[in-house]
Amino acid sequence: MRTRNMAVTLAVASALALSACADGGSAGGKSGAVHISMVESLTNPSRTVVLKKLIGQFEAQNPTIKVDLISPPTDQADQKIQQMLQSGTGIDALEVRDTTVGAFSTNGWLHDMAPELKDWSGWAGLTDNATRYSKDTKGRTFYIPYGFYGLTLYYRTDLTAKAGFSTPPASWDDLLTQASAVQKPDLHQYGYAFRGGKGGSNLAVLQIEAYVADKIDRDDAYKLTDGRTIFAAPEALDALNTYLKLFQQASPPSSVAWGFPEMVQGFSSGSTAFLLQDPEVIATVGQSKAINTGQWNTAPLLTGPGGKGCQPVGSAGWGTAASSKHKDETAKLIEFLAQGDASATFTKENGLVPVVKSAADDPFYKTGPWASYLAMNQSPDKYLTVVQPRSVAWWSEWSQKADADVQRMLLGKVSTKDLLADWDAYWTAKWKNQPNQ
Amino acid sequence: MTLSTPEHTERPATTGGAPRATRTAPGGHTPRKRVFNVRRGLTIAGFLAPAVLAVTVFVYYPMITGSQMAFRHWNLNDLTDTSWIGLGNFRDIFADPAWGTVLSNTVFWVVASIVPQFLIGFAIALWLRRRFRLRGLYQALIFFPWAISGFLIGILFRWMFNGEFGVVNDLLQRAGLISQPIPWLADPDTAMTAVVIANVWYGVTFFAIMILAALQSIPDELYEASALDGAGRVRTLFNVTIPSIRGTLSLTVLLRVIWIFNFPDLIFGMTGGGPADQTHIVTTWMISIAQQGNYGKASALGLIVMATLFVFSLFYLTATRERKGSTS
Repeated sequence: MRTRNMAVTLAVASALALSACADGGSAGGKSGAVHISMVESLTNPSRTVVLKKLIGQFEAQNPTIKVDLISPPTDQADQKIQQMLQSGTGIDALEVRDTTVGAFSTNGWLHDMAPELKDWSGWAGLTDNATRYSKDTKGRTFYIPYGFYGLTLYYRTDLTAKAGFSTPPASWDDLLTQASAVQKPDLHQYGYAFRGGKGGSNLAVLQIEAYVADKIDRDDAYKLTDGRTIFAAPEALDALNTYLKLFQQASPPSSVAWGFPEMVQGFSSGSTAFLLQDPEVIATVGQSKAINTGQWNTAPLLTGPGGKGCQPVGSAGWGTAASSKHKDETAKLIEFLAQGDASATFTKENGLVPVVKSAADDPFYKTGPWASYLAMNQSPDKYLTVVQPRSVAWWSEWSQKADADVQRMLLGKVSTKDLLADWDAYWTAKWKNQPNQ
Repeated sequence: MTLSTPEHTERPATTGGAPRATRTAPGGHTPRKRVFNVRRGLTIAGFLAPAVLAVTVFVYYPMITGSQMAFRHWNLNDLTDTSWIGLGNFRDIFADPAWGTVLSNTVFWVVASIVPQFLIGFAIALWLRRRFRLRGLYQALIFFPWAISGFLIGILFRWMFNGEFGVVNDLLQRAGLISQPIPWLADPDTAMTAVVIANVWYGVTFFAIMILAALQSIPDELYEASALDGAGRVRTLFNVTIPSIRGTLSLTVLLRVIWIFNFPDLIFGMTGGGPADQTHIVTTWMISIAQQGNYGKASALGLIVMATLFVFSLFYLTATRERKGSTS
């Protein structure tokens, strides 16, 4: 009995000792290498492969730094990151998005990297947009963007030509006309890959912004220049009515529940003729077996009645946790990823709008589906770059509410007028109660 | 003939005799009396300690921490103000226009799922009890869904019920049952039905496993006796089979009610609670509130769920125990 007790005690002691050794190893270990933990948010398998490749290059250049990449599934990633940040351990570098930076920084979870990056040579190579997004209104750097997400219109060249249109739609009204002409439900052929599910409200707001482009506050694209919300403008009602018609006349009935995968599938399977999506979809559509490269193309964003469209740029990048004990090493990693070949590789292989100036000379971004982005960038007065208030603390609450409201509108449970009145009241109250946001 | 029913075997063997601890063991040896001393107590405590520690750290601590959030303003998007607000979160929940829909959806979700699961599971268990070729293979195939993640099943069914590309509409159209595709998950009236169908498919397995295990414990002599007495299949089912496994049935139904009530994965994978929040049950709604960062309100909802299930379990156990007492 005594022998057995001793054996159990020894086993427990050994296990504890081993676990202590393991912990010591991750914190520094005998090799002297510093281990930093990096957590990504918009995880997808192919992107993780690219990221690991770049991390490998960084480690080769910096043998004293080892990077442990953590890749939680996208759906739960931000929540996991929040929990890790709240616990204050186990996280050095992290993916920060324009939708999370507000909450993370308000809670003091993000480190202002300005001191570490003060003398960084890479600043000169960043595009104006990238520099702008690298600093908040108080000059703090909570993340350096790795790329931008910007919408473009994907359209079927063959179907539109067959319907008698020689050019892609330029405005939202054009889209309604062309998509309605293409729609033939009996043949399972639909006009527009409507997004009525998660994220659907973004496109409704995009259309409203195009309709009020002449008087929009470009630094806070939910505001008009007179300080009211964009939802209070009379043009917003026209926009939303057209949006509703687009669903009723030119989209699959079940698209009221479509999220990202369904709408991309709708276009790449050949069922729908139009799709509004980010550039990351270029690769997916390019791999489609249902439609070949000669059957589709991209066109610039749609304009409103005033002939202008708004580009609400989405951004994400790499930041440092306030609790990190290796801030210098983390900054070094972020510098590496945000400049030169590493940045170009990451944006190109993941279908992102680049953050480095040198990409402008790359033929890759001048031809094929990417040409529409170039066209938009060459007409900045027609396609206005706007900043949506995605960093406000209530953004995730708003997104869920707005998505459900749009679905209610599509199902006829609320009128476009009442919906706009509700959204106007919501934002007016939020700005009034939290003026600093 | 001696009937060895579970109730017979459960009956105390010491009725009218000496207490079990001092009973003479076969062979005539008197078992050594177990003495509870400090050393023995410490040994027991030592063995219990890891489990107690694990449960305390991983169950009770988070539960208590979560519970106190329910009475505070706890929004993950802004933790600079986490003041106590009493029952504010609960008032928010009851005042929310979605609460009524969520509640009725939850009741529908549980009842409409559990009844077919029970009936079909029972039928499968009865069928699998008979001996036939490849029975083991059939059992494995039928039990397989239970090993798949609920969220994954939700995603699979989401594509199957897709109005345009889904296999369900395709089959129905080919069979001539419908002329136009049904937008299953896009229409609030059909979306709830679709998620229930998926849940029935998923949960039948558990009933089949549990009931089959119980059926296999019924002695063949009981069936032989009932056959000799001239009982038909239906009478044997209601007078022999069901009474013999009543305990298992009660427990399985109770477990399933609790699990289905607490099973947001499938709905989340299929509809995300939509369209227009029309397929939210209490737990999917709780997750969506937590995803907005409002942990205070989500925790309050969690407490409501816990209290509801606790009260239900008490009533259910009391009712089934009384019923058992009255029929035995």
